[in-house]
Amino acid sequence: MKDREKSPVENLKAFLRGFFGAFKHSSTEYLEFELRELENVFALILMGEFVGIPSPPTTLVIRLLPHMTRELYVMQRRVVDMDDILGELAGMFEIT
Amino acid sequence: MREFFVPKKGYRVVFFIGKGGVGKTTSSAAAAIALAEGGYKTLIVSLDPAHNLGDVLMEKLSDKPKKITENLYAAELDMEKLIKAYLKHLEESMKHTYRYLTVINLEKYFEVLSFSPGIEEYATLEAIREILTRGDEWDVIVFDTPPTGLTLRVLALPKISLIWTDKLIEIRRAILDKRAAIANIHGEQEFVVEGKEFKLPTREEEDAVMKELKTYREEVAFVESVLTDPEKTSVVAVMNPEMLPLYETERAYESLRKFKIPFNMIVMNKVLELRNDVPELKARLEAQRKVLMEVERRFKGLEIVKIPVFPEEPRGVERLKELGGIIVGR
Repeated sequence: MKDREKSPVENLKAFLRGFFGAFKHSSTEYLEFELRELENVFALILMGEFVGIPSPPTTLVIRLLPHMTRELYVMQRRVVDMDDILGELAGMFEIT
Repeated sequence: MREFFVPKKGYRVVFFIGKGGVGKTTSSAAAAIALAEGGYKTLIVSLDPAHNLGDVLMEKLSDKPKKITENLYAAELDMEKLIKAYLKHLEESMKHTYRYLTVINLEKYFEVLSFSPGIEEYATLEAIREILTRGDEWDVIVFDTPPTGLTLRVLALPKISLIWTDKLIEIRRAILDKRAAIANIHGEQEFVVEGKEFKLPTREEEDAVMKELKTYREEVAFVESVLTDPEKTSVVAVMNPEMLPLYETERAYESLRKFKIPFNMIVMNKVLELRNDVPELKARLEAQRKVLMEVERRFKGLEIVKIPVFPEEPRGVERLKELGGIIVGR
């Protein structure tokens, strides 16, 4: 078999790649969650006027808006599944 | 001539502040005339929505500087027009990327924002900024301001805006860092809205939001740097010898100090001086004397100029000259 012909070092490398690959995946899960939260907060700060949070200079808000597609989208999604935020956290920490 | 009226670094900005009705417009117009007489190319701008600079100078003014006499130009900012122009400008830049944003019914957001409180202050600040960026065309720029409250808020804006912008830049940087970390592991991230694909920016140079934040910061920092530079900006408070203007001047003095804006002089306007005793005015004269003493005690080290009550309202260039001479010190 081809694999058997490989040196033990190669095998170890392949094993580690797989090991860290799985690791990587779960590590970005947290990062992505954090990123989404940050994007949500960023949009919320700018649009907070509507829910009574003091807002930054209006000029700045209006100037930033055109570039904020992604953040606003994230914010809206967040609002939609606001009631399930515990669920999401539980899923992430594998609490079942 | 008092040194805080003399342009040192290119140009000099002088703000006349004070309670409503104490004679800001008259004093600022007079000072501007005297400065123009002194050979400085002077621009006087009225920021007050209730315009009366034109009435004092007895000229019809618009938002374009109009030549009044040799070296003297005057303009009145039309606030309503300014706010409209300001929003229009913002709307244009919005339309640019508008089509992606229909997702969130942006028109509604925008409508609300255009009625947002404080828009007038921002428009005023924007107007001041525009005049300052072309400041080199003049030797001295005199601002006749709306009553204290609004003016103080406008003068405080740059500092407040800077704090906000710095905070937002910080969060933005964190977002970009996170994105970059994820992109490092999984490769470039994409984002789909209504079938249109975007690449999520991860570096500061390619992120439009960061770019906008930084441009805005620069603009505000420029205004802030001019306003807090004692070689460039001076503030002159106008007040009458009465208690209420005294309190207001004191508050203005405190908040300007907080924002590190130089406060140089008090013009004490409408000081009553009688040659003969008039028993009916005795109480008033006594109150005035008290205020004058208080002012000297509370504003130690500040220049205080007393202007007597004139038998006639000083209007028109000729009559204002003398008054201006007293204010700028000739």
